[in-house]
Amino acid sequence: MAFRPVKRRRRDGRVVITLPAPVAQLVGKVVAELGDMLTAPPDGEISSRLFPRAYLDPTEEHAEQEFQSLVHGDLVRARLEAVAAMVADLDAARPVGSDRVEIVLDAEGEHRWLTVLNDARLTLGTVLDVTEDEPLDFPDHDPRAAGAEMYALLSALQGELVEVALAQLPETGTDDPAPS
Amino acid sequence: MSTGAADTEQITIPDTVEELLGEEDARPDTPWIVIVWNDPVNLMSYVVLVLQKLFGYSRPKATRLMLQVHHEGRAVVANGTREKCETDVARLHGYGLWATMQRDD
Repeated sequence: MAFRPVKRRRRDGRVVITLPAPVAQLVGKVVAELGDMLTAPPDGEISSRLFPRAYLDPTEEHAEQEFQSLVHGDLVRARLEAVAAMVADLDAARPVGSDRVEIVLDAEGEHRWLTVLNDARLTLGTVLDVTEDEPLDFPDHDPRAAGAEMYALLSALQGELVEVALAQLPETGTDDPAPS
Repeated sequence: MSTGAADTEQITIPDTVEELLGEEDARPDTPWIVIVWNDPVNLMSYVVLVLQKLFGYSRPKATRLMLQVHHEGRAVVANGTREKCETDVARLHGYGLWATMQRDD
């Protein structure tokens, strides 16, 4: 679906996103599905992409277990909270004109939209087996075609949000130790 | 390998070294590094944003690291103690980046 999200940052720092109402609905649906997937145990590949190992070295298995026991629960909880809040953002979207809706995000909202959109793309991208080299292009009758369309939509929306977020960050660093 | 004259020393020294290396904290001061790996999903601009936000890197430095990940498959984005690196990895995972840590051998 071709769409152009209109976004701008207001003087009070909030970001305004304007979406066609059907697009907002679709995004809400895919985000809710992400929430379902996070509550049910996902398959190996999706799980290892959303919750990667910290240590690749098999001799660090003990440290890995400890890391996961400290981090995994919090990460699941944070993701579910962000998903629920984003669904609420979409439910509270204000109608503009006859066919669009407007969502106003504060700094926290901007953060959750960025990360939830990314999580949804990671999940969908894994299912669709996205690669860097070939664009997703399925024939219309392929059941993956709708997923690929959704993936492109989420990518466009996230890309726009990243752009406004980067525009607000300084070019200079605050802490610049060169990693060896 | 040629046999040296001091046979007894050759037997005892490797034992000692092995014992030392076998200790879990034999290298407590070895720094750790945090690696971000390439993946086909994360947007290049998003990776730059995350590196700037998490580590306070300048735009040029964050961009350089992102391009290194993109072209070489991985880049070292941070270093420090094991504890610091675990925190960094957890935060990167929170942003959906594929990050791991290892000793900087």
